[in-house]
Amino acid sequence: MNSTTLPTSPAAPRDFALAAPTGASTWTNVWAIAGVVIKELCRRKDFYVLFVLTALITLVMGSVNVFNQENVFRYLKEICLFLIWASSLVIAITTTARQIPAEQENRTLFPLLAKPVTRHQVVIGKFLGCWLASGAALAVFYLFFGLVAAAREHDWPIVNYLQAATLHWFALGVLCAMTMLGSLVFAAPSSNSTIILVVSVSILLVGRHLNKVALKLSEPLQTVVQAVYFAVPHLELFDVRDLIVHDWGLVPWLIWAAAFAYAAVYSALFLALACLRFRRKAIH
Amino acid sequence: MRVYSLAVGLLASLALSLAVCLEPWFQSWKGSRTKSDGLLQTALGDGRKLFASHFYAKADAYFHNGYYPTVFDNRDGYAKAHIAADMHKEGEEDEAAENYLGKPRDWIDAFSRHFYPARHTHLGDSGCGHSCCQRAKDGQGHADDCEHKGHEEGHHGAKRSDEREILPWLRFSEELDPERVETYVVCAYWLRGALKKVDEAEQFLRMGLRANPGDAELLFELGRIYFEDRGDPVRARNVWELGLKNWRQRESGKPEPNVFLRAQLLGYLATLEEKQGNYARALEHLTALKTISPHKEAIQRWIDEIRYEHTP
Repeated sequence: MNSTTLPTSPAAPRDFALAAPTGASTWTNVWAIAGVVIKELCRRKDFYVLFVLTALITLVMGSVNVFNQENVFRYLKEICLFLIWASSLVIAITTTARQIPAEQENRTLFPLLAKPVTRHQVVIGKFLGCWLASGAALAVFYLFFGLVAAAREHDWPIVNYLQAATLHWFALGVLCAMTMLGSLVFAAPSSNSTIILVVSVSILLVGRHLNKVALKLSEPLQTVVQAVYFAVPHLELFDVRDLIVHDWGLVPWLIWAAAFAYAAVYSALFLALACLRFRRKAIH
Repeated sequence: MRVYSLAVGLLASLALSLAVCLEPWFQSWKGSRTKSDGLLQTALGDGRKLFASHFYAKADAYFHNGYYPTVFDNRDGYAKAHIAADMHKEGEEDEAAENYLGKPRDWIDAFSRHFYPARHTHLGDSGCGHSCCQRAKDGQGHADDCEHKGHEEGHHGAKRSDEREILPWLRFSEELDPERVETYVVCAYWLRGALKKVDEAEQFLRMGLRANPGDAELLFELGRIYFEDRGDPVRARNVWELGLKNWRQRESGKPEPNVFLRAQLLGYLATLEEKQGNYARALEHLTALKTISPHKEAIQRWIDEIRYEHTP
């Protein structure tokens, strides 16, 4: 909630009503803050630019003539899913990273906390807003992917796509929570975004292989790398692009639920740390 | 004002003179990228060869339905791309070597295998991950009440010639590194074999020959198209003999020449001459083949057979 979305601003939503932090009103406050974040994403150009870029690149790649061969679609699905993952990482991280610093910079955090809203509610509301906004963006991206795939493949395994999208969304939940914590630790949104982006891409690329890398190292580095392997949130677990591209079957639903629990644990951990950090942070 | 005009005029003349002097030098400068064929070559330079290798490996990964080792995995069974190995029919695949994952090392490893292709299959196999479908694919059939019945014909019930899926990556690889001969050979093999696109295969090989003039491996593949698909032994002979000549010129001086290619050229030439009734030429090729082949006895039997049946 920056100056453009404050209740006192002419551009602010008029239904922004915050209640005292008692009982059920806690969730009313959290939802109100989350709602503002979602509206903010709708107003910003980031999502639209990335979506148009994804659509454009996918359609251009789809127009490539592959030896006059029809129904070649796996490469297109792979490119489209890669672009969706890249775009979603950028949207989730940049949206989350600027939330609290923007409130501080515009001096709107004091009036927000004076409503009264607790600091925990601000952190959770911001996180929820960013996660839901990322989910809404993902829904549009995956709808586009489904349409492109259906046009080329003449098949629409909607449950597989739904499973891939939800797993992707769980990963973004962990990322949003991690970025929220980062925005309270690092000095500027730009540094936070960069660090979280580098960390998340590194986890996606090598997270799965850290245990193998550790085996080739000597002590004490081996123990350090093993510890990192077990400590980091394995975002690559939620990346089922290869299963979708190569028409493998569904992930068993129990495993899917376990992945959700895994993401929930890490998100809760990062949010708890963020709340702890924000409670002790001087707001000047 | 007049001085300023003169100064500007002087500078303009100086710039023009410099441009006239430097332009011919720049055009002949080896480091200039103005002669590059395309945007990719200009932007990436020699770095595009790395991407070309990556895309070639991507085609091989597609051949395995995404089951493919990374740089962190044991790549013993994947030293040579299987899309190329399959082409040359180099014996049975070693399933054990190709199971690069092995047993799970920890619970994260075990858990993560549900989220990426963790079973060795090839394009056209049942890729749905159900063991019953794989057994059905191998001819054992599904149980009547199996919920996955029909998957063995391709997931979602569609029968496909999935080999086409490797083509885009080979095409991208060729765009990035036109001097990589293997890309043309492998792509042409799949085009004319599994996909029955002989015209496209020939066209692609000719593109390869334009980028790599006189390459013996490309000529060998082109000859196979003329001999096996077009039924034109005369052109096949010409192309293979040119390939053999070029092989002698380019490979014979090397410390490790591509003997396998020469053996293939000689073997196919011998077959062609035998079918055309030119037994003397066939015997010449077989005698040359015998000196380099590891299967000397089989070649000798072939020679004896021709001598016995066709020599007066």
